[in-house]
Amino acid sequence: MYFIQHIESITHQDSFQKENIWDELKPLTAENQLISPDYKNYIPVAALRRLSTILRMGITASKACQEKVPNEFDSISVGTALGCLTDTEKFLVTINTVSGDVLSPTAFIQSTHNTISGQISLDLKNHAYNMTHTQNALSFEVALKDGLLCIDEGKKSVLVGAADEAIPFLERLRGSLILTHLPFTSGATFAVLSGEKGNSIAFVQACEVYFSTKSQETLVTLINQFLDANNCSSGDLDLILEARSDFRFLAKNHISFTDYTGFYQSASAFALHMANDWLIGNTDDKRILIVNNLESNKLGLTLINRNEVEA
Amino acid sequence: MSDLKENLKAQIIEQLNLEDLTPADIRDDAPLFGDQGLGLDSIDALEFIVLLDSNYGIKISDPNEGKEIFQSVNTLADYISKHQ
Repeated sequence: MYFIQHIESITHQDSFQKENIWDELKPLTAENQLISPDYKNYIPVAALRRLSTILRMGITASKACQEKVPNEFDSISVGTALGCLTDTEKFLVTINTVSGDVLSPTAFIQSTHNTISGQISLDLKNHAYNMTHTQNALSFEVALKDGLLCIDEGKKSVLVGAADEAIPFLERLRGSLILTHLPFTSGATFAVLSGEKGNSIAFVQACEVYFSTKSQETLVTLINQFLDANNCSSGDLDLILEARSDFRFLAKNHISFTDYTGFYQSASAFALHMANDWLIGNTDDKRILIVNNLESNKLGLTLINRNEVEA
Repeated sequence: MSDLKENLKAQIIEQLNLEDLTPADIRDDAPLFGDQGLGLDSIDALEFIVLLDSNYGIKISDPNEGKEIFQSVNTLADYISKHQ
């Protein structure tokens, strides 16, 4: 079992360093801005001036996690779909517009997807396994699976998370990125997982990803097969957290997590935070399924159980 | 020369994202690198090379020259005025 020891999110919700994020959660509108903590409390000022939003969020959420657990992380797995967009855009615009022979190095250095996990390692002075996963809307689930495999290998304390940032240019790509009218948003969620129970409330029983899925019927079959493989059925689910609203019929409670996250492709990481804190606040509930069908041809499934539930 | 120095300070703040500083906070003779001055580092030195190229058309072919040129706003302004 993979116990959730601590989890932190920086999003357009008031979600950072909260006892239970559900106390403050509200459905988002396009007017909701990213709620940033005072990054200077976590990142030296000299370094902060160079860091874009996605790096500030990732480093701060990770450091806040590290402060809550006694041991250094034995692995760091980060998912990001579009990576460091601010620096990528800055670098590409500079290539196109600057007349000189030399380009500013900072944006180039920080434009790659693995800058997030790299900066987290540098800031934490952590030399452990460090991996970045980029699988569009399933980036978080793949990073999570990586973390679970690390625990299977014997690692004691693993950091898994995801981050993505919105830039205005994304509006020009809206048609090719999403089908809905969700606002583009930014967010980072990082969680510490361990094979030991500790002070956790819930654990990740399983996570699976499916690429190139087709019809709605196929998705229902995949969900039922996933639940069956984990010794439960849809009747055992107390809540489904879904990117869309296609599977309301599967459980007694259903919430579209994108109503609370807006659109960023690794938003399902925040659904993990929502699931963990839902179980803290709803002591009768035991099982939550996160259905990540943000992209129509991909499916991510994550089963979260209260600790008392047998895996 | 004083106009050049003031422009340089504004450009340094913008190029290096020194959000908390104003031109008035940077003394003409204060060291730009190291703990005694602004605390800039090696990436900032590369940014200075870009700044000189893009804003003043001055190319520094030998990076070792930078140590002398980038000591302070005074040395930068002096180098620019001689090479522009």
